[in-house]
Amino acid sequence: MSNRFVAKASAVMFTVVPLAGVLAAVPAFAQSQGKAQTALFAKEAAGKASAAPRTPDGKPDLSGYFTTSTTVPFERPKDLGAKEFFTPEEAAAYAKRSLAAKAPTGPGTYADVHYDMAQFGLEKDQNKVSTGIRTSIVTGPEGRVPPVLPAARQRQVAKQAANRGHEFDGPENRGLAEQCIVWNGAPPMTAGGYNSNIQVSQGEGYVAITSEMIHDTRIIPTDGRPHVDPSIRLLLGDGRGHWEGDTLVVDTTNFSARNSFRGSDENLHVVERFSRPSADTLKYQFTVEDPTVWDKPWFGEMSIAKIDGPLFEYACTEGNYGMRNNLTGARADEAKGIKPNGRAALGE
Amino acid sequence: MQNRLQSLSIANIALLALIATCASAQAPYKAPRTADGKPDLNGIWQALNTADWDIQAHAAAAGPVFSLAADFAIPPGPGIVEGNEIPYLPAMADKHKQNLANRFKDDPEVKCYLPGVPRATYMPYPFQIIQGQKNILISYEYASAVRNIDMGKPTPAPVDSWMGWSFGHWEGDSLVIDVTGLNDKTWFDRAGNFHSDALHVTERYTPRSADVLMYEATIEDPKTFSRSWKISMPLYRHVEKNAQLLEFKCVEFAEELLYGAYRKKGTGPNIGK
Repeated sequence: MSNRFVAKASAVMFTVVPLAGVLAAVPAFAQSQGKAQTALFAKEAAGKASAAPRTPDGKPDLSGYFTTSTTVPFERPKDLGAKEFFTPEEAAAYAKRSLAAKAPTGPGTYADVHYDMAQFGLEKDQNKVSTGIRTSIVTGPEGRVPPVLPAARQRQVAKQAANRGHEFDGPENRGLAEQCIVWNGAPPMTAGGYNSNIQVSQGEGYVAITSEMIHDTRIIPTDGRPHVDPSIRLLLGDGRGHWEGDTLVVDTTNFSARNSFRGSDENLHVVERFSRPSADTLKYQFTVEDPTVWDKPWFGEMSIAKIDGPLFEYACTEGNYGMRNNLTGARADEAKGIKPNGRAALGE
Repeated sequence: MQNRLQSLSIANIALLALIATCASAQAPYKAPRTADGKPDLNGIWQALNTADWDIQAHAAAAGPVFSLAADFAIPPGPGIVEGNEIPYLPAMADKHKQNLANRFKDDPEVKCYLPGVPRATYMPYPFQIIQGQKNILISYEYASAVRNIDMGKPTPAPVDSWMGWSFGHWEGDSLVIDVTGLNDKTWFDRAGNFHSDALHVTERYTPRSADVLMYEATIEDPKTFSRSWKISMPLYRHVEKNAQLLEFKCVEFAEELLYGAYRKKGTGPNIGK
């Protein structure tokens, strides 16, 4: 396993991808932030002619191995205010700083308790990662996920309160990722802490996206069929695709409220757009809405970089010693009269 | 007389030729093609047998939890092993017995672990083939198991894994997959049939009709078996409208088995909440 990462260490991608095709117009675009978002999406929807490679049945070929890892933060750092785009020079400098930043390794930190990412070749600068001129994946003037509605906030608080003091009672108290039930395979597809690798496969009438983390696969039919019955709730949601020019548009509903994304509930509705502006890159845009959580939809855009592959098998529950160790540790504490510390285990 | 016999025999030969033609017209099925001219195996498929309970012939039996009565009893089946014999090396027979005795706690399936190959094929869950030119993805409903079949030049497995390292090629209408790099942790069935990490599986998927694939797998494992052996079965297409795989993420169904001993006393699972 380590060979793979050593081999990739020299392959850090440092291309600044003009994501929206508006690189030349950045300053003007950034100044008109207020109405930028909708304009951007309308422009993209037109689907321009390109030399995108085709599958034998004539569809744009999106297949291959990619990583969702990026130096662009999900939400805009507050000190950047309303600045939506970097200049290419600023972007390069920001990316360099982001890659140089290392997780702390002192006593009690993730690296100390769990493991040192660098030791296993899992630091960002040891792997291929995309960059970009955006100051955040979330687009728009704020560059941040809008605040959740008061009722949704109340539900979240109540849920957290119900688990407080019970974090180590049993496996069901530990969270879906630690339980090896779902990781970051659901849309929108964003990077996790490490191994944020995906494989896109295409057969006639289908696109499949496999995440390396716990080998979750989204199978997306493109034949225009309706979503499954609303009674079926899925951790990865129920995706339906169609082609708009060279762009794959995927509409996903039927989410389970258990797999919340940034506070989302079961009414989560994600629309994604995948295209391939160059052999080495997928352009990825998404809209997120959940009327019971946010009063408006919000948007994201990022570049997804091609990697050499393959995906390795992340067999998760098969090696989940952490679950047993966490629970036995808590029982040992109880036996000594020590209360559970009330913290989720360090990390995910 | 001579002439008459001769003409009769010529007629017979013609008749035989006609019969032969009819017979051969029925024999080889030619599968529809994908756009790149390969047999089209795309679809959602499932075995319709009880091999996951036992790949060998077996009679019906009571289930592991007697109170669950007929719903969870073990269904009978003729088995999928050619000749019905699994040629265990003499030293391996005991391990099979031991596995069988402990199957409801040791079987990787009961723990929701990845099932390995060939077992994934005949579990009681559908799987989907997504056929590309350079790779064929096989996605299984059970436990989100997945295999990428690389249609390029085979390379050695970099590391052992549960689902193995698969390379495919076409032989006529058959997709032939060479599977290596399998670990020694998976079983063939709930009856404890097992293998070592020397397992090498050669699978053949051959279209038999529009909605049936014939599946054959040759099993080689010199550390466990005295010779190679074969399994075979039909796989049926899910022809219902808008068929699709759903999620069978069974980890939480197995948590009580795996971690129940370590939970806080007086608490219980709250599956699905």
